[in-house]
Amino acid sequence: MTQGAVGGVAVRVRGLWKRFGQQAAVAGVDLELPAGRFIGLVGPNGAGKTTTLSMVTGLLRPDQGTVEVVGHDVWRDPVEVKARIGVLPEGLRLFDRLSGRELLAYTGRLRGLPGTEVDKRATQLLDVLDLAGAQHKLVVDYSTGMRKKIGLAAALLHNPEVLFLDEPFEGVDPVSAQTIRGVLERYTASGATVVFSSHVMELVESLCDWVAVMAAGRIRAHGTLSEVRGEAPSLQHAFLELVGANARDTGANLDWLGGGAR
Amino acid sequence: MSTATGEASVTPVVVRLKLSLLRNGLRQSAGRRAAYIASAVLVLLFAALQLIGLIALRGNTHAASVALPLVAVLALGWAVMPLFFPSGDETLDPTRLVMLPLRPRPLVRALLVASLVGIGPLFTLCMLVGSVVAVAHGTAAYAVSVLAVPLGLLVCVALARAVAAANIRLLTSRRGRDLAVLSGLVIAVGTQVLNFGMQRLGSAGLGQLDPAADVLGWVPPASAVGAVDAVSEGSYGVGAARLALSALALVGLLFLWSRSLTRLMTSPDGSTLQAAEPARDRTRTAGLGRFLPSGRTGTIMERSLRYVWRDPKTKAAWVTSLAIGLIFPVFNALQGTGSIYFACFASGMLGVLMYNQFGQDTSAFWMVAMTISSTRDAYVELRGRALALLVISLPYATFVTVVTTAMIGDWPALPEVLGLSFALLGAMLATGAWSSARFPYSIPQEGYKNVAPGQTGLAFLSIFGGMIAAALLCVPVIALTIWLNLTADGEDWTWLLLPLGTAYGVGITLLGLRLSAPRTAAKLPEILTAVSKG
Repeated sequence: MTQGAVGGVAVRVRGLWKRFGQQAAVAGVDLELPAGRFIGLVGPNGAGKTTTLSMVTGLLRPDQGTVEVVGHDVWRDPVEVKARIGVLPEGLRLFDRLSGRELLAYTGRLRGLPGTEVDKRATQLLDVLDLAGAQHKLVVDYSTGMRKKIGLAAALLHNPEVLFLDEPFEGVDPVSAQTIRGVLERYTASGATVVFSSHVMELVESLCDWVAVMAAGRIRAHGTLSEVRGEAPSLQHAFLELVGANARDTGANLDWLGGGAR
Repeated sequence: MSTATGEASVTPVVVRLKLSLLRNGLRQSAGRRAAYIASAVLVLLFAALQLIGLIALRGNTHAASVALPLVAVLALGWAVMPLFFPSGDETLDPTRLVMLPLRPRPLVRALLVASLVGIGPLFTLCMLVGSVVAVAHGTAAYAVSVLAVPLGLLVCVALARAVAAANIRLLTSRRGRDLAVLSGLVIAVGTQVLNFGMQRLGSAGLGQLDPAADVLGWVPPASAVGAVDAVSEGSYGVGAARLALSALALVGLLFLWSRSLTRLMTSPDGSTLQAAEPARDRTRTAGLGRFLPSGRTGTIMERSLRYVWRDPKTKAAWVTSLAIGLIFPVFNALQGTGSIYFACFASGMLGVLMYNQFGQDTSAFWMVAMTISSTRDAYVELRGRALALLVISLPYATFVTVVTTAMIGDWPALPEVLGLSFALLGAMLATGAWSSARFPYSIPQEGYKNVAPGQTGLAFLSIFGGMIAAALLCVPVIALTIWLNLTADGEDWTWLLLPLGTAYGVGITLLGLRLSAPRTAAKLPEILTAVSKG
């Protein structure tokens, strides 16, 4: 399998727009994500991260703009694109009346992989992700962390070149988070690209080598971690400055809060 | 918080909450307002008619025989309604109040008073007043009526609340939710039994109800009206006992309700309990895969068939379709009003399951969407789902047809009815696939609703339009059947309808799938958006 070489472009987005009624959720995003990197898409809630990722992965039709993944247009060439990407969306269900193993068997076979290969990979993924003990339990009975892990396994099963993860660490316990992290680091080390969204800066700072900062439907900054961080002491500070949230003063108005008196 | 003022103030707050919810619900759209007003007018008209009818019955020897079953049926309605329409009244759902520091007793009182607001209670009040007017004679009876009417109303309302509370607790556990499957059966069997009963009554007269009334006179809340009846006839002891029985029922229901409320608000919800459940059904359907074709088709079929058993919504739809598909022709045959052609009903009911295929996936449809990149993929996806449906519906439709034929005894007609049945099934699959691609809509997983708010018109259009279209598509086969039955020597050739109908069904299904596939492949994001609501 040819992995996107470092230095190439994994994802190229041009003039991407999406409006829901009057509200522009994504207002003209232009972005080139380098291949072979661990890329973080950061921004506050409602910045348009999920909408952008949905459009990039072909799950939501943009109003305007083009998206290319490893050189193929997502909307004109779905055969090439869908075989090369893995997706873990946020807020969408899985076929949760299947057991973990059944879900992987189903996904892999739908992807056109041979049955024995699917079962072999599923066994390994379940093992590595620490789900072997729960593999025959229905996904509907899984905890949030287990769901994210089985979703990740389903997204990795066909060995995609680019992996899109929407809030993969949201609501996940530290142990599961560490497991997910380990798998993702091994995956990018082989030259594959991971794009994930998050609003937890510390996490992005510790995981990613390339970041794009999004706010109010636009990209505010992008580049390597050190470029985006600039002079600021941490990504958190740089981020707050970028989205203009530093000046907000919460001091005087809530003077009654705390202290025990009612 | 247990101060007297705190407790006392809960009731008006909850009543106001209910009124606000009602008002806000109506404010959402003019259509909803119109529907509400129309249904209110209809219900009140119906109530008025019943009231006039009951008052006219006054003095009739069978008055009590009508009034008592009527109240009993009304109470049954109250018991069953919350199961089907829990979201019709948002104050019914105590889990929404779980974070408030409320004690069960004032909460029960407040919710009980709040549930007296609405058209349903007004209708019940009309019925109860009518019933006691029909049976009450004498001052003592009137005095008892003053007690009996509010008592009956309260029992009805408390019954609804108790059932709803017990049920919501059930619904929060996955196993319990799976029991929701019974609701379809209750409606299916209930309507048929009611139908059966009404026909009997129509032919045999009101006297038939006398033994039922004797029993129902002791069953709350009908026993409240029974008390009025007994007092009218001078049996004061019986009257007192019946009234006491209703009062006891009210106390019992309130106790049960309050207990399930308490448990509901203090125990962990289903999500926590489920995680502790041991792993199960490891190999229950494992053998299934061996009989299915390999590759994408088999994978899709296996998933669809697993969902028939495991997904409560899918299961409920299947059980309802299977039950009605059998009950309708068989009951009609039993009553002597049957026709062998009613056996086609099974095909029609099962074919409905092909509708809104992607809506049945809910937002998990994204997993399918990610693997469809060509018209061919979409075709295989739809064909797999149709095949999964056929695995059950084909033998079942055959079974129902054979049973109906056996009951009516018209064996020579079996081949033509089978042919007609298969043609209809094919047409339903074709229109089902087409409307799945064209009119997808969400099926909310919570509660008993099968359509997300705002998509009712879409669902209605898709299913009923599709059924009419399916019937029209069958016109060639139907016309051939009629023609063969009307022409002189046609009877000898009706067996031809079996191969012809089958071939027609297969052909039209394949055509339907072919026509639906391009639309499905082209509109994946739109379908995903449509099925992800609610």
